[in-house]
Amino acid sequence: MRPLVLIVDDHPINLKLASEVLLASAYEVVVAADAEQAQQLLTTLVPDLILMDIALPGMDGLALTKIIKADPRLRRVPVVALTAYAMRGDELKASDAGCDGYITKPIDTRSLVQQVRALIDAAQAQPPTK
Amino acid sequence: MDGALVQELWDENPDAILAVAPDDAVLYWNRAAQEIFGYTSAEACGRKLADLVIPANRLAEERAIHQEVLRRNLAVYETVRRRKDGSLVHVSVSSKALKEADGRLRLILSTQKDVTHLKVLRDSKLVEAKFRDLLESTPDAIVMVNVTGRIVLVNSQAERVFGYERNELIGIPVEVLLPARFREAHNQHRSNFFDSPRARTMGAGLELYGVRKNGEEFPVEISLSPLATEEGTMVMSAVRDISDRKKADQKFRALLESAPDAMVIVGRDGKITLVNSQVERLFGYERAELLGQPVELLVPTRFRDNHPAHRSHFFSAPRPRAMGEGLQLFGLRKDGSEFPVEISLSPIHTEDGLFVAGAIRDATERRRYEHALHQANRLKSEFLANMSHELRTPLNGIIGFSEFLIDEKPGPLNTKQKEYLTDVLNSGRHLLQLINDVLDLSKVESGKMELHPTTFAAELAIDEVCSVLFPLVKDKRITIRREVTAEARTVTLDRRKFVQVLYNLLSNGVKFNDEGGEIRILADFDAPGSFRLRVRDTGIGIDNADFPKLFVEFQQLDSGATRRFGGTGLGLALTKKIIEFQGGRIDVESQLNVGTMFTVHLPVASPAEEDLAEPEAVV
Repeated sequence: MRPLVLIVDDHPINLKLASEVLLASAYEVVVAADAEQAQQLLTTLVPDLILMDIALPGMDGLALTKIIKADPRLRRVPVVALTAYAMRGDELKASDAGCDGYITKPIDTRSLVQQVRALIDAAQAQPPTK
Repeated sequence: MDGALVQELWDENPDAILAVAPDDAVLYWNRAAQEIFGYTSAEACGRKLADLVIPANRLAEERAIHQEVLRRNLAVYETVRRRKDGSLVHVSVSSKALKEADGRLRLILSTQKDVTHLKVLRDSKLVEAKFRDLLESTPDAIVMVNVTGRIVLVNSQAERVFGYERNELIGIPVEVLLPARFREAHNQHRSNFFDSPRARTMGAGLELYGVRKNGEEFPVEISLSPLATEEGTMVMSAVRDISDRKKADQKFRALLESAPDAMVIVGRDGKITLVNSQVERLFGYERAELLGQPVELLVPTRFRDNHPAHRSHFFSAPRPRAMGEGLQLFGLRKDGSEFPVEISLSPIHTEDGLFVAGAIRDATERRRYEHALHQANRLKSEFLANMSHELRTPLNGIIGFSEFLIDEKPGPLNTKQKEYLTDVLNSGRHLLQLINDVLDLSKVESGKMELHPTTFAAELAIDEVCSVLFPLVKDKRITIRREVTAEARTVTLDRRKFVQVLYNLLSNGVKFNDEGGEIRILADFDAPGSFRLRVRDTGIGIDNADFPKLFVEFQQLDSGATRRFGGTGLGLALTKKIIEFQGGRIDVESQLNVGTMFTVHLPVASPAEEDLAEPEAVV
């Protein structure tokens, strides 16, 4: 079965790029343009990984990550923060919020797939928690 | 002879005739007495003689003479008497006691002759003989007077300064050499001096003037010395014409006034000796309120305690310098308000000793500008940081999709399509690098750059940078050699910044090197705690005259360089800032067509120091 990746990004072209790159490497993709939409999707869906843009209109990506990590049903889903900031503090904020990875935009289309695969593999190798 | 004629002979006698009762009250006072002493008969009669004409310092002598008159009925002597106007006269006196039949004193009758002039001539002869030759040799004008204030000696310098012949001056009151407005007071000063004669400067702190025969006044300085002779005490005045010095002083004051800054001149004792009108305006005081006051008056109270210590420090090693360098200084106005100032200090050596001149500038405007400038700079940096962020977002699509297409994920491309897409990708990456550099620069300038030192293997970091540049290096067939000394293998630095610096230097070396050239990377410690990284290429070199431009943003030395070699024009400027941010420095040496070497020094805890620290940790 193809792994399912939820991509949250308010920028349509960036959203499309990440989708195309993952689709071309045999991933299933669900997209959301903001945190609220993503939250809605997550009520019925448990993806294998979430690519989360941090700067979102309304609720930001870090706040949504905290909600996900506090939800027993979703907490094991790896969340990768996507940010255009290159400040070191942002990386720290992302990991504090519970993100499992951190990718600086512009994304490297050649390494994105490897990063995604590695994180999914690592999550699946982990024994299920109670 | 009839009584009226006798009376007239007494009254008109050329010598003063006076009679006093046993209680010293004047009984008779003829016209000559009036002329000598200034009192009329009506003023004199009934008053005590001692109160009228006897100087205080002659009272004892007078009592002795009185006793002699009583004992011997007659005394003849010469003495000094005081006139009504306070001036002194020399008189020759013959006194006789007239007694009652029972021997009681009835009255004392005396004739007195004014011998002032005769006495002066006598004194003059004496002091001339004694001192004239000696006093000719002094550079000052010398004027000597006797107790009555008459001139007894002048040297030729005095003749020249005052414009008189010697014989015009001998015997006349010394006041002729003073401007009329000072003459009356001078009498009194002179008699005070004789009361307690000692060598001193006349009128210390006052402006003194002499007057020449032609009426011209001139400023003088006078020192007085008493001179005891067998003819009584004389006073020697050494007079110096200080017109030239006054003129120099006036020039100095004019210069002081013309200075744009407030100028305060202060002595070693901290008292203000001179201010210009800018000080009055700046601090709100009148000049007279400041002169002689401690300079701390102009300093806010919270700084006053330390000020005298700073001042004595200045006087211990006087040299021109700025006051309180790097500190915010404040002045205090008369109305109690404070304002920021800048002060520079200079020592002034004068014949009165060492002074300090303080030039004070109101820094209110300047501080305001600095603040505004700082604010503007911060806004600029924030703007750049935000802009960079906004610019990166569309680049995500440009770089990402061109990569995606070049990798032929959506489908195969022909050669031209692939080539042009590669151009799009490289342009996108170039723009990204530019944006990243701008962002880093603004981080340094806005103080947002942070240091995160870690301990890492220098060789690995160097290899990582080399591998990024490998495609370019391969194209130009450049050889890279790295030498890392044993102690530099592991360093504690901000790894990301180390990589960034090396990347910038190395990519420069590659860009500006010739085909088949060589680059050497040397890492070592040139002193304990001083890590050194050198990158040497065999490229086109840099004209030494261009070194100052090398590290300035967007100043590529050859305007064609960007087109031919790529690069943002920010690399070296940023590199320098990153290095300096870490407390290091970067130097460059170069020879045209031979090559360039950049040397980076970074302070770091050397392994040797860490080793030394270990035993302490064990104990």
